[in-house]
Amino acid sequence: MRLNAKTIFRWSFSLLAMVLLAPPSVPAADIGNCLLCHKYPGLSRIDEDGRLRLLFINEATMNSSVHARVKCEDCHTDIKKIPHDPAKKVDCLTQCHIVEPTSEQKFSHKEVARFLSKSVHGLKDRDQKPKKHPEDLPSCKDCHDNPLYRPLSIFKQKVHPGISKAALGRCRVCHKKDEFIYRFYNHVTTRLHKIRSPKNIAEICARCHDDAQLAARHGLSTKAVYSYGETFHGKAALFLDERVPDCLDCHVNPGRSVHQMLSYKDSNAITNENNKGLICANMDCHPGASPKLAEYRVHPEFDLERNPYQFYAQVFFLGMTGSVLLPIMGLLFLDLLRRMFPNASLRRRK
Amino acid sequence: MATQPLIKIKDGKKYFYRFSAIQRAQHITIASSVIVLALTGMPLKFPDAPWAPSLYALFGGIKMAPIIHKTAGTILFLLFVFHLFYIARSIYTDLVVPLRRKNQLSAVAVLKGILTHPIMPSFRDVRDFAAYLKYLLFLSDKPPEGAKFTWKEKFDYWAPFWGIVVMVGSGFIMWHKELVTRYVSGEIINFALIAHSDEALLATLFLFIWHFYNVHFSTSVFPMGTVFITGYLPEHLMVEEHYDYYRQVMKEAGLEDEILPPPGSRREPVAAEMPAAAPSAASRESLVGGEEA
Repeated sequence: MRLNAKTIFRWSFSLLAMVLLAPPSVPAADIGNCLLCHKYPGLSRIDEDGRLRLLFINEATMNSSVHARVKCEDCHTDIKKIPHDPAKKVDCLTQCHIVEPTSEQKFSHKEVARFLSKSVHGLKDRDQKPKKHPEDLPSCKDCHDNPLYRPLSIFKQKVHPGISKAALGRCRVCHKKDEFIYRFYNHVTTRLHKIRSPKNIAEICARCHDDAQLAARHGLSTKAVYSYGETFHGKAALFLDERVPDCLDCHVNPGRSVHQMLSYKDSNAITNENNKGLICANMDCHPGASPKLAEYRVHPEFDLERNPYQFYAQVFFLGMTGSVLLPIMGLLFLDLLRRMFPNASLRRRK
Repeated sequence: MATQPLIKIKDGKKYFYRFSAIQRAQHITIASSVIVLALTGMPLKFPDAPWAPSLYALFGGIKMAPIIHKTAGTILFLLFVFHLFYIARSIYTDLVVPLRRKNQLSAVAVLKGILTHPIMPSFRDVRDFAAYLKYLLFLSDKPPEGAKFTWKEKFDYWAPFWGIVVMVGSGFIMWHKELVTRYVSGEIINFALIAHSDEALLATLFLFIWHFYNVHFSTSVFPMGTVFITGYLPEHLMVEEHYDYYRQVMKEAGLEDEILPPPGSRREPVAAEMPAAAPSAASRESLVGGEEA
């Protein structure tokens, strides 16, 4: 084949058409073609503080996350050109281009921030006075990453992780785009249960609540999550049981979100002395239980001042264990020794 | 039920009757339920231990293991109730009925009979323990000449009475917390957890160290004692642990001339290897059985 101008034009046109008409391999949200660079696993740099920053975006993971539909530049608003300068930290309160369907307004997390400001984790106390050590109080990214969808399949009363093909079939009756169907299915069923396991949630809370110095600064009981781990709930959580309550199940008022958690001193808090009887007795946990069940100490600590009776009970059993086991271990050792020298004795029988 | 001979002779060796079939069945039930309880409970006691997840997974993990644990606990509780009935029945048939036949039935006589039963703790146990301690410390070359039940066996028998009451009681509180907290404060669950968890550790270590050493791993018994299966104890163990009772049984069987020297005598031939003579008198038939009897 001779390469003349016509042939070159035909080939160029064909290649251009292939590039333009090929199905996009990037997510719909990657309008700015950010994955052109960020799809490479080795993409990283050393920042000004000498820390290695991994800049790789796993496309499949990103597409399975709750932010899959949000355009990169909606959060990274300071990036205007490619290649770009080092990006600033994302502000979660930025208004993004997702439209909230009930209000038809562009979505932002400002409402969540408003909830948080009135909660026990807000920067001001109930009298609207600034709290001490505001740097200790959590902001969005202290607790949240970009969580993945955890869809549920619900079919004939059986619930298991995944997507129900039977349900999808019904969705397709009205909705034509599979991309929308999958996203909506994921969005709804992920929120029918918890994205994080109780173990994972306890680990997040432990970052602050098991920090003895931070807890002392705020007058909190030390090692709240450690003590939860001493209960059956905490132990089952360690074995990845998702049926047991985590911190939020007891500390957040029913029908509210974690961002609206109240101090136990607040008379409206479910953890308040006058209300906590309702915590355990809800339908999902111990239906019909007496309010006395909630008198169970979820944060027992081996502490004479805080839990004197439990302290003495523990000491009694520890003492009994030691006073039985140590002597029998001694006897056992002596018995083994004696068997090595059966005829030896300081006094011989006549 | 046919009476078992007190001495069986097999391959020229004597074996002494210790436990009936019903007693052995009870022992196997308690042993297997306690082993299952320990294996399904210890991962919860030590959830951070590296072995805990794998061991728990063997029993079906957090969804299945608690069900197995509660089933084994229920079996243990039912066995305990059965054993109490078994004791009551034994007192009636072995104590009350003979006393009534002799026209000597009274509360004092029954109480006296119970308190003097060989399994009841007695002053002799203190004496035997002191003698054992002296022997272990090389202050004596004579170990105690044990009775039918030694102080070790009585300890092994009576300790689970406390243990089972604590374990079953605390386990019941935690299992049926909704019912229990209708009447008492939920704080009782904290105490139940402490008792259940700590008593379990004590019982497990006690059984797997002390009891297993005495009945399986000591140099006289290793690699495994078989009395819990056969109901019969070999002669050399009978001499070592129950010499007083051994002498009594041998005399009752008319085998005085075959009584071995007491434990602590200079070990010449191992007692178990000494050939046993066949019984000679017809009166021994009910006491001596086996292929050569």
